[in-house]
Amino acid sequence: MKTSSLWRMMPLLAPTQLLLISVIVIPSIYVVWLSFHASTYGQAATFVGIENYIRVLGDPGFHSALWNTVVLVVVAVHLELLIALGMALLFNSGLWGRRFLLVAVLAPYAVSEVVAVAMWRFLFDQGVGPITVLLNALGLPALEWSYEPSHAMIMIAVLTIWMHLPFTFVILYAARLALPSDLYEAARIDGATRLQSFRRVTMPLLGPAILVALLFRYIFAFRMFSEVWLLTGGGPARTTEVVAVYLYQEAFTYSAFGPASATAWIMVAVSMLLASGYILLLRRQVKNAA
Amino acid sequence: MRLERFLVNAGKTLAVVMILLWSLFPIIFIISSSFKPGREIFAVPPQWLFAPTFDHYVTLWQRWSIFFQGLFNSTIVTIGAASIAVIASTCAGYVYSRTSSRFLNASLVFLIAVRLIPPIVVTLPLFPIVNNLGLADTHFVLSVLYATFFVSLGTVLMRTFIDQIPRELDEAASMDGATMPVILWKVITPLAAPGILAVAVFVVVFAWNEFLFAFIFTSTRAKTAPLVISEMIGSIEGVDWGVLFAASTVQLLPVLLFVMAMNRYLVAGLTSGATKG
Repeated sequence: MKTSSLWRMMPLLAPTQLLLISVIVIPSIYVVWLSFHASTYGQAATFVGIENYIRVLGDPGFHSALWNTVVLVVVAVHLELLIALGMALLFNSGLWGRRFLLVAVLAPYAVSEVVAVAMWRFLFDQGVGPITVLLNALGLPALEWSYEPSHAMIMIAVLTIWMHLPFTFVILYAARLALPSDLYEAARIDGATRLQSFRRVTMPLLGPAILVALLFRYIFAFRMFSEVWLLTGGGPARTTEVVAVYLYQEAFTYSAFGPASATAWIMVAVSMLLASGYILLLRRQVKNAA
Repeated sequence: MRLERFLVNAGKTLAVVMILLWSLFPIIFIISSSFKPGREIFAVPPQWLFAPTFDHYVTLWQRWSIFFQGLFNSTIVTIGAASIAVIASTCAGYVYSRTSSRFLNASLVFLIAVRLIPPIVVTLPLFPIVNNLGLADTHFVLSVLYATFFVSLGTVLMRTFIDQIPRELDEAASMDGATMPVILWKVITPLAAPGILAVAVFVVVFAWNEFLFAFIFTSTRAKTAPLVISEMIGSIEGVDWGVLFAASTVQLLPVLLFVMAMNRYLVAGLTSGATKG
């Protein structure tokens, strides 16, 4: 394309780029500046070097928030992936009323975090929740999520999986649908059992889609805020905080903008690390396809 | 052999039932409970046959008029965000589809990378700026924020959809003397309608449901419906579950029906948005 027509195209690119630059890029760079300064309301910022980072990285509160985030990402995302994979294969094996089932599976995608929290809080309410009552009636222990941190973490994981399963499922199901059926025909003629054709045909070919779904979900689970904030508020006693909640508390509860910015940059760094994996993967796919 | 087939089918049926229960039970439970009279909400096993009542909706109307103000605000913010995102992504998607250069390719990577920065990061510097500009607690600020976090995905989606429109159409129109804005508006937009719908589904669902930005940037005038519901959950004198369920139903139903009606575009958008950078 000639440069002249590229210039003519500029006005069309402008709205998107302007929005991204003014709302995300410049503020993110400003956060870097903030992270090297000590500042709070009504006080001039003073340069403190990497002190904020040292403070955050040495804070037991940050350690526990980071640990909780990693546990949630690892447990919830992988569990979600397994369920989604199972469902994608089930859907592909020929089901009656697949169109309707697909719509049903997509339904949680429409539910807001707030309403999802209301639902699951009621279902697991320690006094009147139907699931609690059911578990008790069966002689099983119910979740004591309002005061037992590990139980609260289970609740958060269940909630996250419920909300994001539609996304992971759709990615995997679409990828499975795109696999040519003659491959399976060939495998069958070569005498492969179902398990073998799953291991040697399905898994390797679904690999890229699985990686894309995983990276996406890592990135989005890592920034998790609303589910935790609305369900436990990070409590009891800040034991269920995740990194985003820690950031929020530092910034908006304690007005400690320096440490909050340092936390923000740690979040950006981790997200970008995961994102670069995603972008590399896309480029390789584009090259392979070309 | 026949036994095996029977077992496989039974297993599949069981799996389907579990999937349906998992996906739909909480939603149906909330909606149906919002019509249950007082104590029946807490009946275990849940009652599916009951005399429906609108009591909770009446209470909602009388005591939480702020919720309906919230719905109104959500509607304005959602329409604003969807309009900005759709217009910006259609324009940019057209450029990415019809031209290519090293600069453009680099800017596309930039587009995708920026979208992956966690939203909470930008709240920190934007909070004082928005306050100083006098934009705090306005519909405008939320619309712009929501649109911004979807223009990247929107652009990528629109590029994929516009790629499928033959270039010959642009060229023919151009020979007839149509200028680029005219081509975009008269030729591309009608044919790219499915893409526009896909982008709209994403933005509408996000803007209608979003909590974090609304929580930080609004307080009274532009407070959205999810924020009012979160206040109901957090009310100290104990949750009034019936009213909470009524509000949740009102907030949820429109967007649920929208997603169900648009499921084709949602699926198309999800797959091409995530796998075709």
